[in-house]
Amino acid sequence: MAGSGPVSSPDPIAQLLVSFREESARGVSSRAEFEALKGRYLGREKGLVPALFLGVRELPPEERAGYGARANAAKREIEEGIARLGETLARAESERRERTAAVDVTLPGRRTRAGSLHPVTLVRRRIEEIFLRMGYSIADGPEIESDFHNFEALNFPPEHPARDAQDTLFLDRKAESPLLLRTHTSPVQIREMRKRGAPLKIIAPGRVYRNESVDATHQPVFHQVEALVVDKEISMADLKGTVEAFFGALFGAGTRVRIIPTFFPFVEPGADVQMGCLFCNGAGCRTCKGSGWMEIAGAGEVHPAVLRACGIDPEEWSGFAFGLGLDRVAMMLYEFPDLRLLFEGDERFLSQLAPLS
Amino acid sequence: MKFSLDWLGDHVTLPDAGAPDSVRRLLDRAGLPVESVEEAHGVVVFDVEITPNRPDAMNHRGLAREIAAMSGAAFPNASGKSVGELPSEGPPAHELSSVEIQVPGLCRRFGARVVRGVRSAGSSERVRGRLASIGAKTIDAVVDATNYALWDIGQPLHAFDLDRLRGGRIVVRRAKKGEKLTTLDGVERELEPGDVVVADAARAVSLAGIMGGLETAVTGKTTNVLLEAAWWDPVAIRRTSRRLGMHTDASHRFERGADPESIPEALDLAASLLLAAAGGILAPGRIDARGRPFARRRAVLRLTRLRLLSGDDRLDLDFAAEALSRLGFSIAKRGGKRRTVEIPSFRGDVSIEEDLVEEVLRVWGYDRLPSRLPLTAGAGGHFEPLRLVEEKLADEAVAAGFHETFSYPFVDRQADESSFSAWLEATGTAKAPLSVANPVDASRRDLRATLLPGLLDAVSRNFRHGAHGVALFEVGRAFGGDGDVSRPETFESRRFAFAIGGDARPHWSAPVASRAADFFDVKGLVERLLEPWADPRRLVWKPFAADAFATGAAARCEVGDGRLLAVAGIVGEDERERRRLPERVCVAEILVEAIPRERRPARYVGYSAFPPIVADLSFAHPRDLAWEKLEALARKLDLRDLESFALLDRYEGPGVGEGEVKTTIRLTFRSAERTLEQAEVSRERDRLAAALGDELAVRF
Ligand SMILES: [Zn+2]
Repeated sequence: MAGSGPVSSPDPIAQLLVSFREESARGVSSRAEFEALKGRYLGREKGLVPALFLGVRELPPEERAGYGARANAAKREIEEGIARLGETLARAESERRERTAAVDVTLPGRRTRAGSLHPVTLVRRRIEEIFLRMGYSIADGPEIESDFHNFEALNFPPEHPARDAQDTLFLDRKAESPLLLRTHTSPVQIREMRKRGAPLKIIAPGRVYRNESVDATHQPVFHQVEALVVDKEISMADLKGTVEAFFGALFGAGTRVRIIPTFFPFVEPGADVQMGCLFCNGAGCRTCKGSGWMEIAGAGEVHPAVLRACGIDPEEWSGFAFGLGLDRVAMMLYEFPDLRLLFEGDERFLSQLAPLS
Repeated sequence: MKFSLDWLGDHVTLPDAGAPDSVRRLLDRAGLPVESVEEAHGVVVFDVEITPNRPDAMNHRGLAREIAAMSGAAFPNASGKSVGELPSEGPPAHELSSVEIQVPGLCRRFGARVVRGVRSAGSSERVRGRLASIGAKTIDAVVDATNYALWDIGQPLHAFDLDRLRGGRIVVRRAKKGEKLTTLDGVERELEPGDVVVADAARAVSLAGIMGGLETAVTGKTTNVLLEAAWWDPVAIRRTSRRLGMHTDASHRFERGADPESIPEALDLAASLLLAAAGGILAPGRIDARGRPFARRRAVLRLTRLRLLSGDDRLDLDFAAEALSRLGFSIAKRGGKRRTVEIPSFRGDVSIEEDLVEEVLRVWGYDRLPSRLPLTAGAGGHFEPLRLVEEKLADEAVAAGFHETFSYPFVDRQADESSFSAWLEATGTAKAPLSVANPVDASRRDLRATLLPGLLDAVSRNFRHGAHGVALFEVGRAFGGDGDVSRPETFESRRFAFAIGGDARPHWSAPVASRAADFFDVKGLVERLLEPWADPRRLVWKPFAADAFATGAAARCEVGDGRLLAVAGIVGEDERERRRLPERVCVAEILVEAIPRERRPARYVGYSAFPPIVADLSFAHPRDLAWEKLEALARKLDLRDLESFALLDRYEGPGVGEGEVKTTIRLTFRSAERTLEQAEVSRERDRLAAALGDELAVRF
């Protein structure tokens, strides 16, 4: 064989590369094997790669440069090869670790328990939001009321048949003005007008009570919201525009609303607010008693006697008020069949509407 | 109230040849909504809702007047005129009987006619058919005649057997104390001086305006009849009818106010029907006794007011006058921009300008009014800050997975709340409950003093329906008996209560034993709910005992100054049994009004840029050494650079002595200025360990 290098032994650099290439091609199966391989080639003390450089001094000076360059190239190749082996090993190890922690992705997820507001609260808040946007303030009053606030100041004379419709629950306390459970949220009108005077622009949501036996459409406890605006020249036109805007916002644009005359002692002129029947779209059905309209709120211009009872001069100020039942609105919006559901506390009922509202 | 379309046609020409839909639309617009339309034997019958202010519309002629006003038809029409002069002979009525009114304020008019020589008979086919169509009973010629007049023109009448009236005369007076009267329904009534009666020379013979007496009623043997038509004071009639529980067609109208002017024609109408059906001779003349006279009533309508209240500038006084006259009003005086309006006797509900405006607008049509929004300025917002507190509490409870529920506030104090009496005591509501005088359900006449029993019942119902975990809350008012009657709000207190039972963390990945709700679920939520107003570290929890709670597993929560804020606890076994709660249930109730009014400020607080060093300590100690003591000791030592002192673990079981627990605490140290060294942290930890050993005898 012809050659230019030392004749006594084969080239150690080439030999080392051959054996490294073989070994690295086999790869390593564990961290220990990897560390052993790394030590054998790159170990500072006895490593095969550092050993290559030990022989340099024994070479003739003219060969040293060439040998050195080749040894450095081999070192680089081996270092890179070992680093690659290390990466491959790390990848394999992490994959193994992950596999043991693998999940059945079809198992049920851990959801935080979702709570819910009561359907009537959902409706109340929706209504409050509509009025807040229109610049109304939210007022509040006691559920225990005096006859004065609940009736007298609202122009219900004593011994008047209009009181019959209210089915009042009276309390067992002797008082100058008999105590009762308020039958409507209207006494809040009285309290607020007496406290703040005019102008005034409020709503008063709250719980009210009547002496009614429980059935699908009657409850002794239910909820109302009352709206009241008192200012200069507040007219039936203001009332009409407001109920149209409000019910449009609550039930959706295109909701048909009308007012027709009726009687409540605390308003004059008085009005019933009616909405196009949601069930038959105005064609007439059982729910709307064939009329195509559903009564949804009581309304009217605040009676001058009520303004006077609150120290407001009816020649200077006028106002409108309207009130509606939240429970019935909830029933219409969510289409549940029975008011008793509202007081049963069954989670199957309570939880199903909130996520969708 | 039922009305026959055919009968209405006696008084007015109906629109569209009496097409029910057209008539219905008119009545709706008038504010007399039709509840139902029925047709039987070719007669269309409306059920009309008539508000209590409109007794004038509670008869066919009155409703016909409304129809005419709305449609513009003539009223009354040709067939609707009164019966006219009736043939009569013999001695005049005032020789056959007499009427004396002793209570002129309560009986302001009493009219009577006498028919002699009637025979027992039924009424005509037409009268019977008419009455039957609107569901009124038909009895005999006399009673049917009075009923027909009632439904036709609205005046209630009563018929006496004149021969049974002692002295043949009538005295209108108050009942005497203890006086008795057997009414037509056969019930003997004990009367009071507040009741007004029609009496003869000797005794009460009729409960005025409500029901006649049995002894003087018309029978098959009656030959001479005295017909009564009177005006009675609404309040007096209402008091008596309510006291005796007697609601009659007559009292319904008198309570609401009858028309004194219809008395003569009602007598004539009834008399003519009676004569036609039962024969007899009408005595000439009417008795017309008067009490306190009726004043002529007037009100002024100003154009400015009409336009201001309606918001409709198209309205003018000419239209107003036309509308009012169609409804039976007349213009007494014309001013430039005002009209003085004479109010008809049948419209007792109208007395002021606003009433006139409503009448004009009814005819104009509410549907024609313009729409606009009030220009009133308003910023919006809450007047009552506690409502916002309640809202925030509810939002947090929802976020924590609780469902809002409502309970009825009617309870029986003894049955429902006695196991909570210690809590009622603590909240000042333990004395006699506030109760309803006329309860819906006599077994639940008290108003709740705590929301907890209602909540537990709701939890129980959910378990019964198969729920495994239940989490409910309620926002509402509790009622105490110790209020100031002149300030009704003092009987109320605002509460926020919640309950959690059974599986609190129902996920398959957690060990079953760790999922059940426990005390720390409710304590933790109380802390979280109150956090916006009260720093949880400033809340003081003290053991609390009430029968409803498990022994040693309830606490009252106070804020710094000792003010009671809440109670929280595990429901005891007796209570669970009574309320049928198969799983452990924990509850809490917060006194909303006791929450500090000021919210804690939301302000930035800086934090360290340096890393923390953590040191744990584990030690054993008796179970009854309160955590609070360990915390207090750590606070007292004021360990240098201690950032937090937290309970990491608590263990009871194998390896720990009987009655002992093993506690592991985690100390986190961090300096704001530099990175701490392990050695200085260990020194502080050891200082705590030594103190724990010395002062609290814990063992490491
Ligand atoms: Zn319908």
